[in-house]
Amino acid sequence: MNPLKGIISIPRTIMLQLMLAAVLMGIAVIGQSYLIVIIVDRIFLQGDAFAAIVPLLGVLLLMLMLRVAVTYWNGRLGTVLAARVKQDIRQALVAKYTTSSVEVMSQGQSGQKVSVLLDAVDEMDSYYSQYLPKVIQTSIVPLMVLIAAFSYDWITGLVMMITAPFIPLFYIVIGIMTQKRADTQLEKMTAFSGTFLDTLQGITTLKLFGRAKAQQDVIERSSLDFRDATLTVLKLAFLSSLMLEFISMLSMGMIALEVSLRLILFQSITFVPAFLMLVLAPEYYLALKEMGAAFHTGRGSVAAAKQIASELTQDDRGVTFGSVDLPTATPPRIELKDVDFTYQDERFALTDVTLRIEPYQKIALIGRSGAGKSTVLQLLAGLADPKNGEVLLNGQPRAQITETSWFGQLSYISQHPYLYAGTLADNIAIGELREATRTDIERAATAAGLKELIASLPDGLDTGIGEGGRGLSGGEKQRVALARAFLKRPNVILFDEPTTGLDVKTEHLLQQAIEELGRTATVITVAHRLHTIEQSDNIVILEAGRIVDQGTHEALLARDSEYARMRAVQRGEETR
Amino acid sequence: MKELMGIFRLMLHQKRDIVLSILFGVLAGITAVGLFAASGFLISKAALLPPIQTLAVLIALQKISSLTRAVSRYAERYYSHRATFTILSDLRTTFYKRLEPLAPGIFAKYRSGDLLARIVGDVESLQNTFLRVVYPPIILVLVFLCTIFFVSFFSLSVALVLVFGLFLTGFIIPGWFAYREQRFARTVRARRGELSTEVTELFQGYRDLKIYQQLGNKETELNEVAARYVAEERRNGLHAVSNLALNTLATLVISWLVLGLGAYLVADGQLDGVFLALLVMTSLTVFENAAPMAILPGFFEDSRHAARRLDDVVTDEVIPTYPPFELGAAPTLTATDVTFSFPGEVRPVLRDVSVTFPRGSKTAIVGASGSGKSTLLQLLLRMYPVDGITIDGVRGEEIDPEALWRQTNVVLQQNHFFYGTIRENLQLAHEEATDEAMELALRQVDLTFSLTDKVLEKGENLSGGEKQRLALARIFLREAPLYLLDEPTSSVDALTEQMILRQLFVRATDATVLLVSHRLAGLEQMDQIVVMEQGQVIEVGTYDELMNRQGAFYALKQVEQSVFTPDQLAY
Repeated sequence: MNPLKGIISIPRTIMLQLMLAAVLMGIAVIGQSYLIVIIVDRIFLQGDAFAAIVPLLGVLLLMLMLRVAVTYWNGRLGTVLAARVKQDIRQALVAKYTTSSVEVMSQGQSGQKVSVLLDAVDEMDSYYSQYLPKVIQTSIVPLMVLIAAFSYDWITGLVMMITAPFIPLFYIVIGIMTQKRADTQLEKMTAFSGTFLDTLQGITTLKLFGRAKAQQDVIERSSLDFRDATLTVLKLAFLSSLMLEFISMLSMGMIALEVSLRLILFQSITFVPAFLMLVLAPEYYLALKEMGAAFHTGRGSVAAAKQIASELTQDDRGVTFGSVDLPTATPPRIELKDVDFTYQDERFALTDVTLRIEPYQKIALIGRSGAGKSTVLQLLAGLADPKNGEVLLNGQPRAQITETSWFGQLSYISQHPYLYAGTLADNIAIGELREATRTDIERAATAAGLKELIASLPDGLDTGIGEGGRGLSGGEKQRVALARAFLKRPNVILFDEPTTGLDVKTEHLLQQAIEELGRTATVITVAHRLHTIEQSDNIVILEAGRIVDQGTHEALLARDSEYARMRAVQRGEETR
Repeated sequence: MKELMGIFRLMLHQKRDIVLSILFGVLAGITAVGLFAASGFLISKAALLPPIQTLAVLIALQKISSLTRAVSRYAERYYSHRATFTILSDLRTTFYKRLEPLAPGIFAKYRSGDLLARIVGDVESLQNTFLRVVYPPIILVLVFLCTIFFVSFFSLSVALVLVFGLFLTGFIIPGWFAYREQRFARTVRARRGELSTEVTELFQGYRDLKIYQQLGNKETELNEVAARYVAEERRNGLHAVSNLALNTLATLVISWLVLGLGAYLVADGQLDGVFLALLVMTSLTVFENAAPMAILPGFFEDSRHAARRLDDVVTDEVIPTYPPFELGAAPTLTATDVTFSFPGEVRPVLRDVSVTFPRGSKTAIVGASGSGKSTLLQLLLRMYPVDGITIDGVRGEEIDPEALWRQTNVVLQQNHFFYGTIRENLQLAHEEATDEAMELALRQVDLTFSLTDKVLEKGENLSGGEKQRLALARIFLREAPLYLLDEPTSSVDALTEQMILRQLFVRATDATVLLVSHRLAGLEQMDQIVVMEQGQVIEVGTYDELMNRQGAFYALKQVEQSVFTPDQLAY
């Protein structure tokens, strides 16, 4: 039933407490019924004085209190358990995600992962807070009631025992019968209910074409269709509870008939057991009906549980690091040796890439989109491990190097740097693991050309910027990324050059900044600027996941290379 | 309560279903009480060894009431749910009616993308108002009244105890919890929002976090925020549990009082002992109707909150009335000292923008991303109110935006496509367009779709370039004296782009055209080029003038020429 079995464990003590609560509940239910019956008997048939039953009333009150207390305890256990499990699941998921390789994390499904962490985990709540306690209770209480019935009047006990299986059986039969019809309706329902959101999202377009008013009818029609489809499904559900009601009513009626006949005609039973049976019967069938309903609740969480389980068990090759510190005085020599790489969905492969980058070299990676430039950058950065082949730093496999010493000397400046909700200063200082001084941050900000921006903000460096850097332009975000690098002063810079859309100032600034930072660092660029390409020590041309050529600008132009052809076409287009 | 007036009004429209569900609900409630009362009476009577006929009558009565009860329950559920879903439909249309005149200007107030999803969710939670908030007390009161009336024949004092029980379980306890619920629900929502922010940051900033070795910190932080959220939920859950327990306590104690009192009355000779079991069974059963009252406070709070948020979106907005507005021939557009900032943001998007787009001219607006090009276009379109815009000399404030849009061909950066077919999405622009006209429009933008091809929500089965071309095909279906186009071809390859733009300019020969462009190539033919930077217009002129001036446009052109993108090279 629960796909999370074996992944998330429920503490044994809580399970035991839940069972104990169920037993106490059974005792309270039986005790309550018994005492009521006795009191009625004493007053009604035995003709006792009121004073004589006062102690009994006292005990009954205690029983009722016990019932309430157990109700509370049971609910509390469920809530506490649910809270605990939800926190455990979230922690497990986060731990899984933070050790995943960047490749897995950026497979374009971050929206889905967000929804697993938020919605799917939330949906597990009812499983642990409602379903589980209910299942335990409804499997113990009816059993106790049945035993009680047997010990007082075996005939009624027998009736109860024979009729009981019909209720869960009925649930299953109806479930199977209606599932298919429900599924076809469900599709319709999703389509209809989507119309409202679809219309709201398109309202600007509708208004531009003057069609917004007419859309009201569409909303109404689809909502009413949705209603009819839903009612078709619900009618099935209502019908099944109608049948269950009939079954339990019929059974209770049988018991009433049977005991009263025996009481009058055969006089084979006395008032006390007869009345007791009558009071116990509803409790018994109610519990059974609740069990059926609980299964319904449980089924709702199964889809969510499946989702969580598949995230947790997804096997993922993270990136291996080791225990040897990489020297930080000078940039390391970086080599890719016969590297192969495939994404999990196998849409793309990098094949047989060998590349040697000496300290302080400037490397340009060029090629069409999808040629594998970004993947090479990921592998160089240590954000993904190759499938075959090796990444060497100073001749040593990267798997032996410590993560801190490698990332400590690396900056990765992407096209879309991510900014966190926090102050501008915080966002710049993320680049510095050691405590950065205010002066350092200011100096880095100035070097990255952020002075004007800071002056225009109400609180300067301490102005809060929203999630994802809301309110900053693309150029400004790029500058914040530069400021991070200026603060860090890395030995190795990986730079994904922006394609277009930057203002002229940021363009120049970027060029200068990379030049400046590059004096003390190796710079590997996914290049989109002629200037960058021409100035590099080595131009690496990728095509369909392979390195097809490499060399300096002059060397490549001098021979009949792919690069020479590309440049020729580019010039042609410019003059056209 | 005030917030919920709107939904109460909608409920009145469903009188028939609501009356029927109440009728059957009450019937189901009283037959249940009757059933258990009868079985209590039956067994007591049986103990006195009555003639078998009496027993037969009682048993028959019991069977009839159990049958009635089950069938009524079914009918009650059917009608109450039918009412609920019809109310949902009404809620959607009434809300849409209120929102529609305010769009799209209203979206400037809420720049967060989740506004729409929130609206949908809020409207959906309002559908529960009837079934979970309004309905249970009605049934509770009616069933209790019948029961109390019935019981009063046997004993007035027992009836009084039941009245007291009704107030306690139906109103006092739920009311108290509803009052406390308000605060809890608010904190839970706030905590969930915090968690959602943390989670989004983890995924979107994953690479940067990894390289700056902040993943560990983020993990700790995230777990703490998650724990705070769960703790709040736990508090909320425990609150609900104690609510439920207290309600159960009240109902059980009342039944206990009924038993005690009944016993006393019997012993005292004021009540026939044969009725004692009946009274006890009645009391135990009638409180079943109080059970939905335990979850009422939560739903009540949800409904109130949803209604308030929906009201916030659409109230305080006055819909002005405008004189008729006709564009006639190609208009002249001007912006004079236009400054604009989105609500809640410190820095203005546009600062002192003054520019003229003469009658029939073709203008390109260029600049870096974030320089304010799109905002200028949207302000000229009167999508957000601002001072300083005129069209043919008429002040922007006096122009009916809807009239303007009807007469303008617009392509925005984000164009919506609806779930349906290509034909339906094209007909949006021109309802009576013939198949031939639509097929021609598709050819003109180099699309090979058939008119019956499916389009999924938000056009998610179309590529970026296909969406842009389909949006262009839409405006190819109608004539207009004014074209406002925001990067309409940024995802289309250079050759197709030129082909499409050529056709567009042929169609718009006499029209005034504004084209926000991401590329500088091909702008030689434009009458004027407006260069923007950081919300300001920094240069205006023809291509040749700007190139000769060697200013901002020239610099941008230099950058563009230095960009090397093998993708765009035709090999």
